[in-house]
Amino acid sequence: MLALALNSACTDKPDVITGQEDPFPSTYTPAATSPVLLSNATLLTGTGSRLDNTSILLIDGKISAIGREIDAPGSAVVIDASGKWITPGLIDVHSHLGVYPAPSHEGNLDGNEITSPNTAQVYAEHSVWTQDPQFTLALAGGVTTLQILPGSANLFGGRGVTLKNIPSRTVQEMKFPGAPYSLKMACGENPKRVYGGELKQTPASRMANVAGYRTAWIEASDYVNKQESYAGKQAQGEETDPPLRDLQLETLAEVLRGNILVHNHCYRGEEMAVMIDIAREFNYKVTAFHHAVEAYKVADLLAEHDICAAMWPEWWGFKHEAYDMVEGNVAMVDAAGACAIVHSDSAITVQHLNQEAAKAMAAGIDAGYHITRAHAINWITSNPARALGIDALTGSLEVGKMADLVLWDGDPFSVYSKTEKVFIDGVLIYDRLDETRQPVTDFDLGIIDPTDERL
Amino acid sequence: MRRGIKLIVSIAFVFLTVPVPAGEILITNASIHTLTGAGTLENADILIRDGAIAALGTDIDPSSVGKVIDASDKQVTPGLINAYTYLGVMEISQVEGTDDVSTADEQFSSAFNIFPAVNPGSTLLPHNLIHGLTHAVVAPESNQRVFAGQGIVLQLGKPSSILNKSAAMFARLGSSSSEAGGGSRASSYLKMQQALADTQEYRTNRHAVMSGNWRDLSLGVHDLEALIPVIDGNLPLVVNVHRASDIEVLLELKRQSGFKLVIAGASEAWRVADKLAEADVAVIIDPMANLPIDFDQLAARLDAAALLDAAGVTVLFTGVDFLHTHNAFLVRQAAGNAVAYGMDKTAALKAMTLNPATVFGFADQAGSLEPGKQATLVIWDGDPLEIMTLAEQVLVKGKIIPMTSRSTRLRDRYLDLDNEREIFYRK
Repeated sequence: MLALALNSACTDKPDVITGQEDPFPSTYTPAATSPVLLSNATLLTGTGSRLDNTSILLIDGKISAIGREIDAPGSAVVIDASGKWITPGLIDVHSHLGVYPAPSHEGNLDGNEITSPNTAQVYAEHSVWTQDPQFTLALAGGVTTLQILPGSANLFGGRGVTLKNIPSRTVQEMKFPGAPYSLKMACGENPKRVYGGELKQTPASRMANVAGYRTAWIEASDYVNKQESYAGKQAQGEETDPPLRDLQLETLAEVLRGNILVHNHCYRGEEMAVMIDIAREFNYKVTAFHHAVEAYKVADLLAEHDICAAMWPEWWGFKHEAYDMVEGNVAMVDAAGACAIVHSDSAITVQHLNQEAAKAMAAGIDAGYHITRAHAINWITSNPARALGIDALTGSLEVGKMADLVLWDGDPFSVYSKTEKVFIDGVLIYDRLDETRQPVTDFDLGIIDPTDERL
Repeated sequence: MRRGIKLIVSIAFVFLTVPVPAGEILITNASIHTLTGAGTLENADILIRDGAIAALGTDIDPSSVGKVIDASDKQVTPGLINAYTYLGVMEISQVEGTDDVSTADEQFSSAFNIFPAVNPGSTLLPHNLIHGLTHAVVAPESNQRVFAGQGIVLQLGKPSSILNKSAAMFARLGSSSSEAGGGSRASSYLKMQQALADTQEYRTNRHAVMSGNWRDLSLGVHDLEALIPVIDGNLPLVVNVHRASDIEVLLELKRQSGFKLVIAGASEAWRVADKLAEADVAVIIDPMANLPIDFDQLAARLDAAALLDAAGVTVLFTGVDFLHTHNAFLVRQAAGNAVAYGMDKTAALKAMTLNPATVFGFADQAGSLEPGKQATLVIWDGDPLEIMTLAEQVLVKGKIIPMTSRSTRLRDRYLDLDNEREIFYRK
């Protein structure tokens, strides 16, 4: 499953030692459901196409047919989607839901293990509070998959996890089956501010940031060598003790083996260029730069190295490294042939990711580019799926893919449009028109009025 | 539809059929959201003279006007107003020397006024202006004090300027005021109540206080002086507060003291909407702020603005989220979302134009399109509330604003990466 999921990233690395099996495996299986036929809608497929007056059939959690005339099984629930739009389920490649939940207070701030510049040993999933009410709010916004990342205080923040936005009791029930782990790295101001500025330790400068990454990769390379040497000896029947497991190096080693994808918080163009060189030095791949405010300055470089840039449409000015914002950023990266992603990093805008994409599209058109809705939808569906290594499974409306999709009551690029129904693996997880299909977290239940829900 | 609107026009405005002299600007054939009783005028014109709106109508003769802007298929609104920002007093949030929003200094509270910190040269101003934001309320903040001090109204333009140096007094109650109250919101309430009472006492015994023949009051003379217009009802008191019970406590204090109350933040205001409407208390809200982000805001919801408006509350918009300063123009997206969640479209437009202008005392100049007011307006390439609509041209007091910012300059120099060595010669 892992190999399948990794189709678009890091396929050239030999599967030497995949390390331990995931100690926290996904326990998610989609609920059983009847086939569903959504008929006569406008589809934005996430593969660049817009299909008008088209129907889509969901069977056993997968997209089973797309076309004008579809023979649905008699058991199918038929939903007339005339005048409505269907997109792939939205994917937020940068989220802290569950690790920075609402309500926000000290007892709940679990997204940054700031005690050391390298905390590659921590897993964001171990901080996830499944009853964070922000999950269901994002669901109502059409978000079906999220990458939950540790914060950006550290050079190596820890492992990120890809979740399906399924109301669950355990985080394992939310884990996207087959999705690779990610490693959160951070450039620039945050690590040097937190360690040099607040804790008076290294790194206190950008150059020390870089020394910190390289030192860690040297140790990780050595760890890989030791493991390979052990594996070699074992294969020859030699009796030898295995090297001691080190959780921190294990995460980094998995990056070097191509099994964990690097998601790198990085604002400035020159820092992205340096990170690309570090990746070459240690033979790993940067999958995506996040918060890439200056991606437009090095868009050609990103295209050349097949690196995604995850961007906001117009956030800026909270740090000097976020000062050179241009609203054409997403479109400019896209036009250069790099993989452009619109991300949220916000529990507010994750609920309106379609609007975030719409703003980026409008800004791109204003900059002189020709951009269609059918193309711009990729920024919040198939492109983030690619960055998460799950694009063979979800992120587009194609036969055989997971039936993760959103029925919109109108053009998803309009501020007035809202999700009507959200399907995950063919199951109706949210229905704006049916209160009985609107999940309520434990937190929300009875908290304002004991006989009612929060909303 | 169109005929009906024209009928309204003919009642509300005198048709100008006489030729108009050069030096004036005429915007023609636009759909004009006047936000007055005249409603939305279709295929209508705006005549601008001496920086002000001289006439609105459908038959203004363009033949001798110096500058005619054809706005066919375009829509015109008054310039947008964000009712709660730090514009002009914050360049980069984490660059200390560029952020004058709050102070830990405890010498002054209500006497503190943000105006000397305003930087009309801030790059945030052209950025927001070219997206249609022409005015902003600028607030001070304080975690240490119940009264943060006085805020201003900023007029964006070329150049930007301060329209009103003391537009409102800002304070906070509820959990965000707990630090100022030493750990309990009740203590913050007491400080506010005492300050207002002491101001009353000070005003009637000013001479005795000044000459030292009076008991010690809870605030210094400068702070007491600054609160006099508040207790007189001449200066709005904007209180940041969310929880419904805190709002009710404030309403009771208003009943006792009689100040002009505006509440900001106001996540749970919809729960006491009827009481707010009855007490004529305006509400500044970010319609997209629906997170139960603390226990004061458990009832936050996306249709809060619609619920408040339906109850007859005067609603003012800010937002979106923490971007209410750097991208204060996104108040337009906030308004669009308020409409998506049930608010009347005209009401949503007024919540970022006429309502803030009225509440903060500059509706004689801005906030709606009618003869005599500033010709401060935006020509949009479509529905002004729609997310993909762009501001095509902004006018401030009749002046055509260059639609350029540092951000558009950066964009333009990097549009072509093919000739890398030339980038830094593109100006």
